[in-house]
This record gives sequence, structure tokens and C-alpha cells, in this order.
Amino acid sequence: MDLGQQILLMLGGVGNTLIISILSFFMGILLGLPLAFVRAYEKDLAIFVDVFEKVFRGVPEIVLMLLFYFGLGLYLPFPFGNVFFTATFVLGLRSAANQSQIFRGAIRGVGEEQMVAGRSLGLSTTESITHVMMPQVFIFSTPGLGSEYALLIKDSAYAWVLGVAELFKNMDLVRANTYNFVTPYAVGALLYIALTFPIATWLDSWGNKKKKELGL
Amino acid sequence: MLDFIATYSELIIEGFLLTVGITLFGIFFGLALGILITLGDMYGGKVVSAVIRVYVEFFRGSPLVVQLFIARYTVPDILHIPIDPYVVAFLVFALNSAAYQKGYIKGAIETVFEDQMLAGLSTGMSKAQTIRHVILPQALRIVIPAWTNEFCSLTKSTAVVSYMGLLDLTGAGRIIAGETYIVLATYTFIAVVYLGWITLFTKVADIVYEKKRIPGIELSV
Amino acid sequence: MTQTVMACKNLWKSYEKHLIAVKDVSMEIRKGEIKLIFGPSGSGKSTFLRCMAMLTPPDRGEISLGDQCLTAPGVDLNKARARIGFVFQHIYLFRHLTALGNVELALRRVLKLPKEEARERAIQALKDVKVEEWAHHYPAQLSGGQQQRVGIARALARNPDIILLDEPTSALDPELTGEVIDTLRDLAQKGATMLIVSHEMPFAQEVADEMIFYDEGSIVEEGPPEQFFNHPKSERAQKFMNRLIKKTQRE
Repeated sequence: MDLGQQILLMLGGVGNTLIISILSFFMGILLGLPLAFVRAYEKDLAIFVDVFEKVFRGVPEIVLMLLFYFGLGLYLPFPFGNVFFTATFVLGLRSAANQSQIFRGAIRGVGEEQMVAGRSLGLSTTESITHVMMPQVFIFSTPGLGSEYALLIKDSAYAWVLGVAELFKNMDLVRANTYNFVTPYAVGALLYIALTFPIATWLDSWGNKKKKELGL
Repeated sequence: MLDFIATYSELIIEGFLLTVGITLFGIFFGLALGILITLGDMYGGKVVSAVIRVYVEFFRGSPLVVQLFIARYTVPDILHIPIDPYVVAFLVFALNSAAYQKGYIKGAIETVFEDQMLAGLSTGMSKAQTIRHVILPQALRIVIPAWTNEFCSLTKSTAVVSYMGLLDLTGAGRIIAGETYIVLATYTFIAVVYLGWITLFTKVADIVYEKKRIPGIELSV
Repeated sequence: MTQTVMACKNLWKSYEKHLIAVKDVSMEIRKGEIKLIFGPSGSGKSTFLRCMAMLTPPDRGEISLGDQCLTAPGVDLNKARARIGFVFQHIYLFRHLTALGNVELALRRVLKLPKEEARERAIQALKDVKVEEWAHHYPAQLSGGQQQRVGIARALARNPDIILLDEPTSALDPELTGEVIDTLRDLAQKGATMLIVSHEMPFAQEVADEMIFYDEGSIVEEGPPEQFFNHPKSERAQKFMNRLIKKTQRE
């Protein structure tokens, strides 16, 4: 395998890593945000959210991937027969569980009074949630979301278990083809650090700055 | 359908014990090392802080699997000595956890540091005495929720050692699924065991925490 | 002639570039004296007090405790601070210890007293400030006034040469300041040497030997209380006293 192919492989891996992490992150928001609000405002349904959180924060991602792909994939080849989908889906569920917690903390941090203020103006519960709570909840959650995204970039490596050609799998492939135990791993590690570092730091500082500005 | 549990009980127990072993070693050794690193960062001087920074960025910025593989394959390759995979696993998880725990501990210390350090110095205690008798006792209580979170993360990430030739709980599951083809039930069972272990540990931690609880030292949420 | 317990000479302390909190301040406190510093907020009084205790090192100048010069190089500051009692505006009790624990800690770790002796002295200190009932309570379980009294006990327990108090009542709810002031009055009657930063004018009038008007980093005027209440010498002091009296009248 010549240098060109190696580089292509690593870059392709980075590409897939980014796709997986971005998709699962958004899945996490789409699922996690409603879950957090349900948990905060619908006392009867709260227990389901708790169970969901417990399961997807407690079971190893690898086990979930094996379960979904080799277990469910047998009975539901569409969509769980596809490795890319299954890996992203599992990470999305895990992320939703994490984000549900993050948003819940943010809802508490923003404070019930904001809801009360919204309702006192004549806004309905839904309107208050959408126009008063959500913007503040997002700003409050930014640091937490930043680390969650960095976590997804790192955990995307688990997709290698199913054979997805993301960065970890490809870097190992390069190693297997070149018998070089040093360079591919070192470069891979540096690429991961390069991917996680800016986002986590940037979102962290932006989020904390905004929080200070708004007195959150 | 669940007879595989009985048939493979030895395997499951062996795998479970390894998972538990790595997790407990990692979380406690990580705590001790994390405290040392935090103090080193605070008082060790510029060079020490820089080294710590690199260490933390590496272990927090890259996936655990990469760290394991580097420890398992790259390091022995460079040093020309073989390293036992068990040693690799225990060491890497501990070093990884320490890097994360340092962040939580530092945050907890910073929450109480300024005024409690002034108070301690004002009574004639030295900086070191104040850290030991005033700041750390408070910080270590504040850190508990983050610490139990770290425990959960650690437990989950141990699953990857089964791909390094070690027989942990996930490894047991993969063997069983491979031999019996009872895939769904097996992995569901394995998942339940992980959940059980985490629930057990967090319940115990809750009990210990309640015993050590001090009104007024509220937790970082 | 009573000995000087604590003194400072030509003290300077500034933050950043323009904030000079202490501008060439010199002062002497003799045994049994009670000096009270007052002035507009932000004038640097707290910084000055913290410099005196070497909790914040001054930029320039000398500070002496008895015949020991604290600003000299190589001084064991911890030993020196053991002879100074400091009471903070925001109290800063050790949250993880009971009231008793708060007082005992320095007795055991600084004076190296054995357990029983430390406990006895701590209980006595709590009795002196009348909070021995709450000895086994944690700070969070005490009211602000009780907490501050524990803070005073903590400062007193080592029998320090002098007590420095930084606005001990300012952070308390009005109805709680009384108990702290009573405690301080007690201490004054027992002959304690105190340097207090405070706005409690009635207390100042009653107890202080000398009052010092501190503004923009310097001592503007000093003298006995009746000077400030009846005929302040400086215009700034006069203005400040007027505002203070107007405020007390409104309350």
C-alpha cells in the first residue's frame, strides 16, 4: 500500500467518523430534547425516560451494536442489517440519553420562574417552552453538548467493531498492510485529537461566555 | 432458551470478574492518580504543568481503543519488549480515568478554593495543611456525582478489551453467541449484567455518600 | 508605655495599574487598643486589613507584629499568622467541619495541641461567644449571626496577640448583627486588641479608642470617636458622616 493510498484511507476514515458523529449528535438532540422536557414536565412519563437513560447510559456501546446488528439485524435486515446505520443509530440512542441529562440540568438551571414569566404574559405552555425556555436551555447546555460531541467523535471508533470504515478501522487497516505499528496509530491519535480539541474548547468557551453574559 | 447461562456460567463469571477488576482498579487508581495530577498541576511549576497538559489532552482527546492499541502494539514495538495484554488493559484504563478525574477534581477544588484557602491561612495553617485538611475533604465530596458518572463510562468502555484477546464479559458474550447462535438473548443478557453491575455499584456509592454527607456541601450537579 | 502589638510603615498595595488600595499607610496599634477603620466602599480598607495579616502581600512597606518584621524575607508567615486572629466579612467557615471542628482545627494542626486539650479550649472559645449549644452543628445549619460568632471563636481560640475584623457584620441580615456586636463588645471589655473595619457607628462610638477615616487608599483623618461625631476636621470625613447619619435617621 503506497503512501497515497494510506492517506486516502485515513482521510476517508475521518470523513466517515465525522458523518457518524454528526448524525448521531443530531439524533441525540432530536430525541434527547423532548425527553428532557417530558421528564421535567410530565411526571407520569418520567419513569420511562429514566429507564431509557439508565439503559443507554449503562450498557456498553459495543454490546448494543452487537445486539442490534447481529441480534435484531437477523429479524429486521432493514435497517439493522446495515452496519453504518446500526452503528450511527446506537450512538444516537446513547447520545440521546446523555443529552436528555444535559438538557434536564439546563432546564433546572434556567429555572422554573422563566416558565412562570412566560405564562404570565399569556403564552401557552408549549409557546413558553418554545420561545422562552428552549433558547436559554440551549445556551446553558452548550458546554455539556460540546463534550458530548467530542465524546461521539471518540466513540465513533466503536463502529469498527461492525466493520464500518471509519478512522479507527482504517488506521488499523493501514497498520495491517504496512506492518508499521507506529505511524498509522500515531497519526490516527493525532487526527482524533485534532477533531475533538477545537470543538470541545470552542463550544466550551463560547458557552461559558454566553452564560456569563446572560447571568445564567 | 436461557439455558446458555447455565451452560456457560463459568465463562460468564470469568468474564464478569475481569470486567469488574479492570473497572475497580481503573476508577480507584484513577482517583489517586487524579488527585496527584491535580496537585502537581497546581503546584508543580511550568514544566510539570505542561507535561500534565499533554498527558490529559492525549487521554481525553483520543478514543480509548486507540490508546489501548498504542499501548498494546506501538509501545512494545518501539521499546522492543513485549507487554502483557492484561497489564496494558489495567494500566491504560487507570491512566485514562485519571486524566478525566483530574478535570472533575480540579473543578471541585476551584469551587471552594479561594475563600477556604484564605480562611485556612488566617488560622495559621500552611498552604499544604489547608489543602489537606480543608480543601480536599470538601472537594472530594463535591466530586462524587461526576465520579459515579466516570465509573459508568469506565465500565462501558471496558467492553473493547474483548477485541484485544482478553476474556471480559463482552468477550464471554461473543463466544457464546458465536457457538450457540442464540444472538439476541445472549447479548441482551450481557447487557442486563452490565446494568446490574452499574446499578449495584451506584447504590453502594449512594449509601456511602449518605453516610459521609455533610449538610452545606452541595454537589455540583 | 504600652507596647505596640502591630504596626505598619509606608505600606503600598495596588491592583492592576490604577487601583491603588493602600497608599503609603502607616499605623500603630498598642496593646488593649481598639481602632476602627471606616470609609466609602471600594476605598481599599479590606485590602489593607488583609495586607496586615499578610494574607495578601503588600507591594512595599513594612509590617511588624510585636518585634518581628513580617515583611522581611524568610519569615515564617504561618507562625506569624498563628498570632493573629482574622474574622472575614463573609465568614468562610470550614463547611465540612462542625462548629467545634472549625475551632479545633488550628489548635490541633497549628498549635499542635493534643486532642483533649484542643477540645477543651475549643469548647471554651465557643462558650465565650455563646454558641456552645451548636458545637456539633455544621455551618449550613447555623444562622449567619451564629456562623460569624463561630468565626470569631475560631479566630480567638489561639489567644492571638491581635484580632483583625473585616466588616464582621456587613454580610449579615440586620436582625442578626446585634448578636455579633454584643460579642465584640464583650471582647472589648475583656481588653482585647482589635483592628476593625466597620460601619457600625453606634458600636464605634461606644467601644473604639480611635477611629480612622480611610478613603481612596489613604488615612484621611484619625482621632477619637467624639471628634468624628461632633467636629470632623476634614471635609471628606464630614461629608461621609453626614451621609451616614442621614442613613441611620432614615432607618
